[in-house]
Amino acid sequence: MKKLILIGSLSLLATSVQAELRINGFANLIGGITSSDDSMYGYDDDFSFTSESLFAVQVSGDINSKMTATGQIVARGKNDYEPDFEWAYITYQATDNLSVSAGRIRQPLFRYSTSSDVGYSYHWVNSPRVIYDVPTQNMDGVRFDYSGYSGDWEYNMQLGLGSFSGDFLGNKLAADNLLIASAELSRDWFKVRGVYGVTKVSTTGPELTMALDVIRSLGLPEFANDLASDKDTGTFTGVGMEVDKFDWFIMAEYTITEAKETFVPKTVSYYLSAGMRAGKWTPSVTYEKKDSANQPKFTDRLIGLPAEPLAIATQIGVGLQLGSMEEYSVTSVGVRYDLDTNVALKADVSKRSDDLDDTRDATAVRFAINYIF
Amino acid sequence: MLKKQALIKAILSSSVFLSVSFSALSETVIIVNPNNDSVIDAKVAQRIFLGKEGKFSNGKEAIPVNQIADSPSRTDFDTTVLGRSSAQVSAYWSKLVFTGKGIPPKEVQNDAEVIALVADNQDAIGYVDSAAVTGNVKAIPLN
Repeated sequence: MKKLILIGSLSLLATSVQAELRINGFANLIGGITSSDDSMYGYDDDFSFTSESLFAVQVSGDINSKMTATGQIVARGKNDYEPDFEWAYITYQATDNLSVSAGRIRQPLFRYSTSSDVGYSYHWVNSPRVIYDVPTQNMDGVRFDYSGYSGDWEYNMQLGLGSFSGDFLGNKLAADNLLIASAELSRDWFKVRGVYGVTKVSTTGPELTMALDVIRSLGLPEFANDLASDKDTGTFTGVGMEVDKFDWFIMAEYTITEAKETFVPKTVSYYLSAGMRAGKWTPSVTYEKKDSANQPKFTDRLIGLPAEPLAIATQIGVGLQLGSMEEYSVTSVGVRYDLDTNVALKADVSKRSDDLDDTRDATAVRFAINYIF
Repeated sequence: MLKKQALIKAILSSSVFLSVSFSALSETVIIVNPNNDSVIDAKVAQRIFLGKEGKFSNGKEAIPVNQIADSPSRTDFDTTVLGRSSAQVSAYWSKLVFTGKGIPPKEVQNDAEVIALVADNQDAIGYVDSAAVTGNVKAIPLN
C-alpha cells in the first residue's frame, strides 16, 4: 500500500514537472512601534516585526488544458513563521466565463479578500484591520466564479459553499453550511460590490463553557441556550465601492456581522480611504470604524428573578456580551513608494480612538517592504 | 533685412513643425500577425493585456507579448492603453496571480523581439514603437 502511494506521488511529481510549474511568491516585512505604554495592531512601544509580517510561496501547475492545481504556503510572523498551507485547490475552467475551484480557498468576503495578503497589490501598509482582521478569510469547499462583460460593464460573481474554522475572542469558532455569494460590477473608473453570507456557527472555549454551566446551574437553561453559540445562524452582509481616476482614488467598504441567537454582539465595520498617485508616490488617508457596542440581548430572561440568581446571571450573561463589545475608530495617514515593479516601500501613522475605554487609545507608526516575484 | 528675418522665422517654424510631426510619428502601435483577421483596437488590446479576454474576435486564442518594465514602449503602452503606471499594472497582475485567476503575459527585451515573435505566431499580439514596424507584422495605430 505504501509503495503504491509512493509510486502515485512520484508519478504526480513527474507529470507536474513536465507540466511546467509556476512559482510565485510575495513577502510583507512590516515593522511597527506604538506610543509609550500602548498597544495596537499587535505592537507595543518596542519596535518589532512579528505582528504583521509574512512570507508566502505559491506553486501552480496545469493538470490539463482545463484544470489547474494551486498551493499557497504562508509563514506569518505572528505564528512564529510556521509555514502553513493556507490555500490548496484545483480549479476547473468550465467555460470562458465560469470556473469552479475546490479545496481550501478564499471566501469572497471583502473587496480585497483574494489579495489581502499581497501587500504589493494595494496602497495601505496593511488592509484595514476593522474589516479584514477576521478569524479566517479561507474556507474548505467549492467556489464558483462567473465573470464577463456586457458593453462597458464588467461583472464578476462568486458563490462559495463549505465550512471554516478559526479563533475568535479566545474561543474556537466553527462555521458549517456556509453559503456566501458576491457580485461586483465595474466600469472604467467605477466599481461597486455586494456580498451576503449565511452559516451555522458554533463557538467553544473553556471559559465560555464554564460561564454557561453556571447560568444553567442557576436554573436558567433558556438564558444559557440563548447565549450559547451552537449551530446558530450567523449572517454577513457587505457593500463596497471604489472610484479610481488614476490620479486619485476613493474607496469604502461597509460590513455587518450578526449571530442573533448567541452572545456575540452585532458588529458594524467600515472604512473610507482616499489617495492620490503622483509618479512613484501614493499618499493616502484612511478612516476606519468598528462598532459592536449594543444593548445586551436576552435580558427579558432575567425579568422577575430573585435578587440572588439575578446578580450572578446578570454579571455572567450580560458580562459575556459586554466583554465582546468594541467601539473604536482609527485614522491613518500613509504613503506608498514604488521602488520597482515588484518592490514597494510604505509607511503610515495610525491613531486609534476608543469610545468605550480611552486607556486603549494609541498611536502606531509602521514601515513596510512589499515584494513580489 | 526684414525678408531675411522672415525667412529665418519660416525655417525655424518649419523645423519645429518637423520635429513635432516626427515625434507624433514615433508612437506606440499594436502589432499582430499579418494573417490575423480579427477586429483589434486599443480597447481589445487593453482587455487582452489585462487578462480579461483570452481570445480574438475570430475565436482564436490570444497570446499577448509584453516588454520588460525598462522598455520605453512598455511605459507608453501601460499609460496610454492600460491607463496605469507600470507599477500599477504589476500590482494588478499580482492580484490575479495570487488568486489563481491569471498568468501575466510573457515579457521580452525589446521591440525587435516582439516583432520576431508576432511574425512567427498567428495568435501573438504585441506593441512596438511605430518606427520599428516591419513588413512581417500588421500594425494597428492606437487612435
